[in-house]
Amino acid sequence: MTTVSEPSRSVPTGTKRPDASMSLLVDLSTDALDPGYAAAAARKRAAGVEDRPRWALVGATVAAATLVVVVAAVQTRASAPSAARSRSALVAAVGRQSATVGRLERTIATLSAEQAALRDASLASSSAGAALTRRIAAAELALGNLRVTGPGLRVTLGDAGSGNGGSRVQDRQLQDVVNALWSAGAEAIAVNGQRLSAQSAIRQAGDAILVDFRPLVSPYVVTAIGPPVDIETKFGASGTASRMRGLAQLYGLRFDYARAGRLTLPAAPDATLHYARPVPVPAPRGRS
Amino acid sequence: MIVLLAVAMGVSLGLVLQPTVPLDLQPYLPIAVVAALDALFGGVRAWLEAIFDDRVFVISFVGNVLVASLIVYVGDKLGVGGQLSTSIVVVLGIRIFSNAAAIRRRVFRA
Repeated sequence: MTTVSEPSRSVPTGTKRPDASMSLLVDLSTDALDPGYAAAAARKRAAGVEDRPRWALVGATVAAATLVVVVAAVQTRASAPSAARSRSALVAAVGRQSATVGRLERTIATLSAEQAALRDASLASSSAGAALTRRIAAAELALGNLRVTGPGLRVTLGDAGSGNGGSRVQDRQLQDVVNALWSAGAEAIAVNGQRLSAQSAIRQAGDAILVDFRPLVSPYVVTAIGPPVDIETKFGASGTASRMRGLAQLYGLRFDYARAGRLTLPAAPDATLHYARPVPVPAPRGRS
Repeated sequence: MIVLLAVAMGVSLGLVLQPTVPLDLQPYLPIAVVAALDALFGGVRAWLEAIFDDRVFVISFVGNVLVASLIVYVGDKLGVGGQLSTSIVVVLGIRIFSNAAAIRRRVFRA
């Protein structure tokens, strides 16, 4: 048996190649040159003619091939800036719109302050108006619409460290603490700087605790303004505090509280007001 | 000499005329580019191996471009145009690479 020194697909041999089933890649690299060239050369050799290539034809083809490549390059260059342009135009539009939103928000804040000043000025002229002003101020304080400062209590809740089982504070515990503080006489409460209003919600979404849809991370610092000693006593005696102490012992959560001499809480975001409407009462029927 | 002249002519034609490819033909442009490069490299290699044949060169160029575009066209109609054009680029790219390697071996003897 003679060994074929250079196995090639173009030379049909009687034996089957062992890698016949995966010949595609082999063919690709061995037959990289168009087999037509070899065939043409063999034909010419057999015929014994030595013809000069038709240079015009070759030149035209080379020019056409080059043209295709250059056209592709030109096309790409022409369309790339337009893509970048539209992208940067979008970015600029987004920036412009956010700037507009910011400006409008500032306008709202200025106008609300102006309105409040005008309201106070027009109410200050009469004694009934002065009483109304005080009521409005109290209502705004309760609503959390005003930035407030004063002494109070600072309660800190924190997740257990990973070495401690990795237990986490749940939204319910934060809710309980906040409610216990309200019932202990707190006048204003904020969690991690998020002022709570009558419409605030504390809930869990996955791993994060959301306060008014803003995700907060541990540790959760609950600041409450009110008579410090009173709040501390009542809060410390509450069921919530003792439950939290138990959880802290069991699961390694962080739970502590301390009086603070001066706390400043920001205003809550503007509340959307909802009005209750009385249900129309049907006309009373003959009941004399 | 004529080849260099033709290359210069192709480049200057493309740069001067700045032809716009119609939108319908744009998906076939990359395929045509790869097929054209394949034909050019094949021709250069055949020239260096002294088996260049003008007929084979022209027909391989035109044929490659047409067949590749046809495959992509059919693929587009069947919803697999992107994959088929990738496969053509891969196959012709391998051919270009091996031809370029053969040219390199012949020119630099390395």
